[in-house]
Amino acid sequence: MKPVSPGTLRNAVVVFLVVGILFLAVSGFLRPFLGVIMDPFVAAQRWLSERFMAVYDFFTLPRDVTELIQRNNELEDEVANLQSQIIQLQQQLREADILYSLLDYARSRPADQYTAAAVIGRDPSPFLQYIIIDHGSDDGIRYGMPVVTQQGLVGRIEAVTASASRVQLISDAGSTVNVSLQNQAADALVQGSISGDITLEMLDQSVSLTAGDILLTSGLGGNYPSDILVGQVVDIQKTENELFQSAFIQPMVDFNTLRAVLVITNFQTTNISPLTGETVQ
Amino acid sequence: MIANFISIPVMLLLSVLQSTAVSRITLIHGSADLILLAVAAWGVKERGYTAFLWALAGGLFISIITAMPFYIPLISYMSVALMAKILFGRIWQSPLFMLIAIIFAGTLIEHLMSIFYLQVNGVELELVQSLQDFTLPSLLLNFFFLFPMYVLISDLRKWALPGEEYE
Repeated sequence: MKPVSPGTLRNAVVVFLVVGILFLAVSGFLRPFLGVIMDPFVAAQRWLSERFMAVYDFFTLPRDVTELIQRNNELEDEVANLQSQIIQLQQQLREADILYSLLDYARSRPADQYTAAAVIGRDPSPFLQYIIIDHGSDDGIRYGMPVVTQQGLVGRIEAVTASASRVQLISDAGSTVNVSLQNQAADALVQGSISGDITLEMLDQSVSLTAGDILLTSGLGGNYPSDILVGQVVDIQKTENELFQSAFIQPMVDFNTLRAVLVITNFQTTNISPLTGETVQ
Repeated sequence: MIANFISIPVMLLLSVLQSTAVSRITLIHGSADLILLAVAAWGVKERGYTAFLWALAGGLFISIITAMPFYIPLISYMSVALMAKILFGRIWQSPLFMLIAIIFAGTLIEHLMSIFYLQVNGVELELVQSLQDFTLPSLLLNFFFLFPMYVLISDLRKWALPGEEYE
């Protein structure tokens, strides 16, 4: 038998040692030992890495700040654009809400034909309560047509051009609307004023009026269709020695925030001025 | 010549602005009158008769919008231009003092004419109450808008008529 050479024996010992160490490492027996050896290296590497990154940041940070500022500006622009879009969408949503409300109202009165119009201005004179709408004779609008919203009566067309019309609100001093009480058979007049307040006039003293009573158009006089909401009684002025009682009325429509209205296009106003002896306007 | 032509787009723009925005800004029941302010601001810096053309253009545009008879804004603005012409350079040589005086008188004339017209047409309103609720607040708002309008018209004038300065 050939004797084993010292070199082969050494190699075999090395292989056994390596395999043994690997076996111990894989099976976890060397972990405490490796920890004792590796911890100083890891700590040194961490320390070195932190210092290196600090130096790296020191040299590269200005460039990053510039990039960040640029990116920040881009994002701010984007945010501004998105906010602008949100505002536009909210505006469209509000308009859509108003139009849906008007549509619901129009559906609830199928006998009437309506033309929707946007409010584009007010009368420049502070003494008058008029609004300007963006539809005119080209859209079938004619003098005297009643104007409403889903909340109630707004007024009537007072002047018409091809593409715009002027609407006299029921709160105008020159406006008079024939009304009736919702719960009682009593007719009266709703009169506007230069301050925009509306009052109930010419109501018989025998009528028992209470705050909260609802007023509807009566259709008398031929200027407005009947049964359109006008307002609600707020404060009653009743004096025994007067022929009629009066009351302050809260209109159903907020005239200051009007944005869109409906014009009743199939309503024919009746001119009764020859019967009353008044001059035709 | 350019001052004559520029009055038309400027007054058209101011009329639209008046109807859409300024009329909605109210104090009690009063509101400012941009046309009156523009006519006065142009008039106090004008030696000629161009302010009358501004008054005419503004009066016609407003008379299209308003339900008041056409002659009320027209006469009011013409009277403002006339006052500016008469008082030009006479009140301490200062356009601003003159402007305040003209705005005060112009607003008063316009409102008195409106009140008179409404009373004649059967509207119930008391003169003193109307002056308190409409004229005084309108005056305050007019004074509020006076200086921005004066600066605007001055700049417009410098652009339209370079080299002509009467201050």
